Amino acid sequence: MNLMADILLNVTIAFLVGSVLFGIQRKVMARIQLRPGPPIIQHLLHTMKFFIKETVFPKTAAMPFYVVITVILCAIWVAAVIVGPVTQGPLLLLFAIFAIHKIVEHNAGSSSGSPYGKLSCVRAVFSAAAELPLFAVLIIIFLQTGTMQLSTIVAYQAEHGALIFTLPLAAMMFIALIISKSYYYSPLNITLAKDIVSGFETEHFGMLRGFIMISEAITWYMLLWVFLTVFFGALSPLMYLIGMVILTALIGAVNALTPILNPNHSVMTEITLAFIGIVGSIIMMFYI
Amino acid sequence: MDITTLGGQLLGIIPLGDIVLYVTTFNLFMFAAALVFTVLIAMSKTEKQVEAEFGTLNDREKKVGKDEFKVRRFLSIICGLATAGAMITGDLFNFTLFVTLIGIVNIGIVSAVKEVDVLDSAFQYGIIAMLATLPLFGGAALILAATGTLSMFEIVNIPSTAMMIFGSILLFIGVAGESGVAPFFATKAEMFRTAGSPFLVIIHLSSLLVIVRAIEVILLISKPF
Amino acid sequence: MDKIKSIGWIIIVISAVAILYALIFNPAAWIVYAISLIFIPLFILSLGLISMAQGKKEDDEDKTKEPFIGY
Repeated sequence: MNLMADILLNVTIAFLVGSVLFGIQRKVMARIQLRPGPPIIQHLLHTMKFFIKETVFPKTAAMPFYVVITVILCAIWVAAVIVGPVTQGPLLLLFAIFAIHKIVEHNAGSSSGSPYGKLSCVRAVFSAAAELPLFAVLIIIFLQTGTMQLSTIVAYQAEHGALIFTLPLAAMMFIALIISKSYYYSPLNITLAKDIVSGFETEHFGMLRGFIMISEAITWYMLLWVFLTVFFGALSPLMYLIGMVILTALIGAVNALTPILNPNHSVMTEITLAFIGIVGSIIMMFYI
Repeated sequence: MDITTLGGQLLGIIPLGDIVLYVTTFNLFMFAAALVFTVLIAMSKTEKQVEAEFGTLNDREKKVGKDEFKVRRFLSIICGLATAGAMITGDLFNFTLFVTLIGIVNIGIVSAVKEVDVLDSAFQYGIIAMLATLPLFGGAALILAATGTLSMFEIVNIPSTAMMIFGSILLFIGVAGESGVAPFFATKAEMFRTAGSPFLVIIHLSSLLVIVRAIEVILLISKPF
Repeated sequence: MDKIKSIGWIIIVISAVAILYALIFNPAAWIVYAISLIFIPLFILSLGLISMAQGKKEDDEDKTKEPFIGY
């Protein structure tokens, strides 16, 4: 297939599936809390709505960063789609993208001049400790498979069986990472916690918010895609979809049932999980 | 082990005598990201922090003054270029030099601010960064002594010895201290409370990107495979 | 037509042309990557710039100088 068509198709799928997954997550959370909940396509509707809303650019914002940061957010996740589903490139690159995502959160928060955004920005720095499980997962997978290419990781799993059975603790760390990056009342996501309104998105109104929401949907799809690919190997599109729905419902349940932790507790939880994951995985790798 | 195991496709090499710069997709992406942010910082204005004043009906504005703005922007651009350099360099010693430059410039970016908390934090970070130069350069020196070369393109082909692994661990401790991540992040977080978002973003950008690159460098040196 | 809208139209034309170029002529892989990294986000941004609503000129004063509504 034409490469550009491939990329466009994958980006569109990522956006649509990610949006609907958000809807499913909110539905699950609502049903657990005995509410009817919004329709499943709510995220999609919101995105459309924000694009035709009146947009104002705050007088206090740091231009042009305030606008360009939304473009960068979209660009890095398009890059992730290229590295992931399109070319199955190096895993290390995906983790560089996660790192830049952190920086985008940081700068989107601080460039608006809003105190809520600023708090989110400081928290983004604080939660850099959450990158620890990320790199640990990376190194553990590398130690197990001897490669960082997604295509060869998939090939390895076709030969030796899914990695989730050999590296369950690494999978647990990755799930903690997904929860820490999940939207809608995540216990670990301190940059978007509700005590600072909408975190770094607070001062991005109108079409800029709509743009951010498109990138968010792609982000969510890619997080789940990477998890499924790294720990389950090659799946058919239908299996990917089923896996994503199950994971989203699981994380929706976790988010609905847990309190939102404060920054210190959130960071300590992640470091503890990382410690258990790293030590446990290495012990399992050498002695079992 | 091959360089492409980690960074993906090898796009080209730039042989500069003993030092060979190798460009993989991974290096190129991070290099481009650092440069894009640097360009944006060079042309961006700073934000104004507006807060309600306690006890009155007035607003309190925190702005970045013009002189302070110029100094901080200059240092931020240097920091961005150093980050870009650390992403693309193929020489271990250059890598450590770029990382120390990032550390120095990071302190400079916030030291022009007249806020006690921020300066305190910058001072503590400065001490950590200074201490971290010892393991950083020590690690690089150990690796040089053990392999006889600093070019990562060469080191990749040399089977790793205990001394090389020890050197890479020292290198990692040095990079962690220098960029103020994981165990040291608490010293750095306070620095971000000041105004001037385009300058603060480069502090964070440099530390995260350097850590990602350091992972690559350390895996290339210690070679678990 | 004001400044933001015209910038939006210019960007959307440029990015649409670039994306179509990559679709039709099938250039080398790295060119396609560069085009998709730069122009897909810009395309969406310009869509937003064109479709967004803008406030009335008369309301500008109220937005910049918030009237005191009493505490």
